[in-house]
Formats: sequence, structure tokens, C-alpha cells
Amino acid sequence: MSFEEFQNCARLYVIGALEPEELQDFEAARKQYGSAAEDFINQCYGLHEAFALSLKPAKASNAIKDKLMSMVRERGQGQSGPRSA
Amino acid sequence: MTSAVDREPGAPSDVDLMLGIQSGDADALSQLYDRYSGIMKALILRIIHNETEADDLLQEVFMEIWNQAKNFSAEKGKPLGWMVTLTRRRAIDALRKKQAYARAEERLQAEPERQPLAWVENATEKDIEAGDTRVLMAKVINSLPEAQQQVIELAFFRGMSQREIAFHTNIPLGTVKTRLELGLKKIYDGLKELRDEL
Repeated sequence: MSFEEFQNCARLYVIGALEPEELQDFEAARKQYGSAAEDFINQCYGLHEAFALSLKPAKASNAIKDKLMSMVRERGQGQSGPRSA
Repeated sequence: MTSAVDREPGAPSDVDLMLGIQSGDADALSQLYDRYSGIMKALILRIIHNETEADDLLQEVFMEIWNQAKNFSAEKGKPLGWMVTLTRRRAIDALRKKQAYARAEERLQAEPERQPLAWVENATEKDIEAGDTRVLMAKVINSLPEAQQQVIELAFFRGMSQREIAFHTNIPLGTVKTRLELGLKKIYDGLKELRDEL
């Protein structure tokens, strides 16, 4: 697999659209291209950011935030934070 | 680009907030919620099309961010990318678990003006000139041919595989693959260009 083909596969991979039979070749190429492959895959995750940023933000409820923060603070009393979760 | 959305001068960066959350600072989570809950909820709504379920899931997602923050590494990517990946996965899982495809489909068909191409809402030339990141990104996506937008919509927002898309749209599998590859490459290149400019 050429690096260009690998790049095409990587973009499909990060959105979960690579078919099972394509995964084996992709993983082999990933190993072959080493850190260049890993760097490219990490950059491809930026696609997720792009899709999210293209959406108009929705109104998030204050009640949800209050409930969330209450759960987090309550949990924090007994634990030192997410590291110990 | 230290933050994907506008923030007050002197406000902590996204990475600072993630580091705060990693050390158990609830206020950091509160600030992250204020900064990104709108985007996350929009993403969830886009996938599950139900306001109440979206609120519940949004809460679960931020709880997971709190619990899983230790797994975030700034070397591997940006906080927003990590959060969106997590949010999308949770939303698609929820959609599948509740076997809500059929119901979502009915809603999608009832809201044709939002599907599949209305990724840009309220995108005026004025907004674009103002350089708003959302509008610029949406402009990149909207510049794709409709056929490419359709397959990307189904893959990203509905979690469909290439085969499922081919079945759903009655388009040959090879064509689905080509459209996905071309569309994703254009978005990737647009994102890269946008980052270089910022």
C-alpha cells in the first residue's frame, strides 16, 4: 500500500468507516510507515473536530450542568478526582 | 489554535482545563462545559435527534470526560478532538442500543430541510468574512458535491459502514468508497488550511 493509499484509509479509519477486510492491510501499512503513520492518524482525528465545529451549537441546559457539577463535587468528596476513578 | 472557540483574553486554554480536570479541579470541568456543551449537544442531537435523550447523554459525556481525563494526552491531539470522538461514540452507541434507527429516520424524513446538506446554518457572507471558525469549517464541508456530503453524513453522523451506506443508498460499494475518500480528503485539506491560517 502506498502512503497516499494509506492516507485515504486512515481518514476512513478514524471515522470508523473502514471495512473489516480493509483493516488488515491498513494495520500492516501502519506498521510499515511507523511514526509517520501514527502522526498522520492523529492529524486525521482533527476531522472529528471539523464535523463538530461545522454544526451550529445547541442550547445546553443549565439544569444539566448543575446536576453534573453536583455529581462531580459529591464524588470529589470521597475521591481525589478522576485519576482515582 | 489553542481553543476551537472564542474565549476571553487570559482564559485558560483547552489543554490547561484538561490538566485541571486531570488533577481533580471541578471548576475546570465547569469551564470546559461552558465552552463546549453547545457544540457537544449539537453533535449528539445530530446523531440521535431527541432533545431529552441529548440532554441525558450530554451529562453522561461530561461525566465520562471527568472520569476518563487521565487518558487524554495533549501530545496525541487536541482536547476538542478527544471530546468529539468520545461524544460521537457514545451517541452512536446510544442510537444503536435503543434501536432508534427507524424512529430517527422518521424524524429525518420529517425534517428534510436539515438533511443531509444543511451543515451550514445561518452561514452568511458576513459571518464568513468575520472568520468564524464554525462557518469556515461548514463552508469547507458545504463546498463538497452533494453526493460526497451524503455518504460522509451517513458515515460520520450515523456510524454506518461503507456496506451499510451502499445498502441504504443503493449506490455501488466502490462508488461509496470513492466518494468517502474524496470528500474526507477535501475536508482534511480544508481543516489543515484553516489551521495554518489561524
